[in-house]
Amino acid sequence: MLILVRRVMTALSMASMLAALFRIRGAGGTPPRSGGWREVDGPDLR
Amino acid sequence: MTSVSVVGLGASGLVAAQELIAVQALGAIETVGYYDTDDDRMALGARVLESATRVTALGSEADVVVLATSAGGHAITARRLLEQGSHVVSLSDSTGDVIDLLALDGLAKRVNRTVLVGVGMAPGLSCLLAAHAGNALDQVVEIAVAKTGTAGPACARQHHRALKRPGRDWIGQEWIMRQGGSGRELLWFPDPIGALDCYRGDLASPLLLQRVYPDAGRISARISATRRDRLTSRLPMLRAPHEDGGPGGIRIEVRGLRGGAFETLVYGVMARPSRAAGVTSAVAAERLLLGDAAPGARGLAEVVNPVNWLRSVVDRGVRIVAIGDPIEANRTPTA
Repeated sequence: MLILVRRVMTALSMASMLAALFRIRGAGGTPPRSGGWREVDGPDLR
Repeated sequence: MTSVSVVGLGASGLVAAQELIAVQALGAIETVGYYDTDDDRMALGARVLESATRVTALGSEADVVVLATSAGGHAITARRLLEQGSHVVSLSDSTGDVIDLLALDGLAKRVNRTVLVGVGMAPGLSCLLAAHAGNALDQVVEIAVAKTGTAGPACARQHHRALKRPGRDWIGQEWIMRQGGSGRELLWFPDPIGALDCYRGDLASPLLLQRVYPDAGRISARISATRRDRLTSRLPMLRAPHEDGGPGGIRIEVRGLRGGAFETLVYGVMARPSRAAGVTSAVAAERLLLGDAAPGARGLAEVVNPVNWLRSVVDRGVRIVAIGDPIEANRTPTA
């Protein structure tokens, strides 16, 4: 039983460390928060 | 004497009447009338539309009648109005109304009058934007229209109905019926609305756009919906809709060929649907008085020069936005 708990704890710790590594070192950037819209004016309505 | 009557003083009808009164002040229209079967709405009209005339019969003897009543039965009223010699602007976005109104084409041509069909936010303003984008391309391959938000209670009920009924997509030169509430697609609407999940439904935009672009490979329309909207779409509306649905938006994506290369043009509008629909219908009424639409029954994608119409809409404070650099139109569509 103790061995099982130890294995689970080890697996969770390794997963957490891996996730933290990706979170801190990852280069994915921030997802876009706006759609890149611009106002339609003169040149568009000629 | 030029006169315009607005029939139906819901959220959109009221905006249309107010916009027409503003045009009246400039001298382009001599009289603006209004009518509603509901006494409370007539009382509201008397308070808000001070300089307008209360019309006792349905748009009697007006040159142009703006039909802003709830969806359903628009063609019956439009037929009567055509026979009495009026042009008609219908705001109904129900596919049944759109089909029936387009069937009045022969009568409208015989009496030399015009029926403008689906003149709201989508269809309506969306059709003008699709036509404008289409004019910048040599060949239109795909059009996708999406809408979020509703105007008054009648519009909200129509939105609710649309989500449960099958919708039609124009794919590969034929109509294909698809289940309402299916086909989830995450679409970006103009800021601050942002990204929303949109679904198929019983929407009239493809019907009106296919008349102009029958060779397009795909024409589709979607409306935004939450999980609750989809879950309850088959039930009656669980609570009364708002008097005005608040901010909404449309997004029109047109793909096609220009100079041998593929281009994608995306236009959008963020506005209260009641405001966008009211302004678009008022502009349509004004343009009809100027003789800017040929006789017959048609949608706004079929007008000869959509740029003039769009400019009038922008002048009235409806903000149109786009993604990408400006592209000038390279051909004039045929009416």
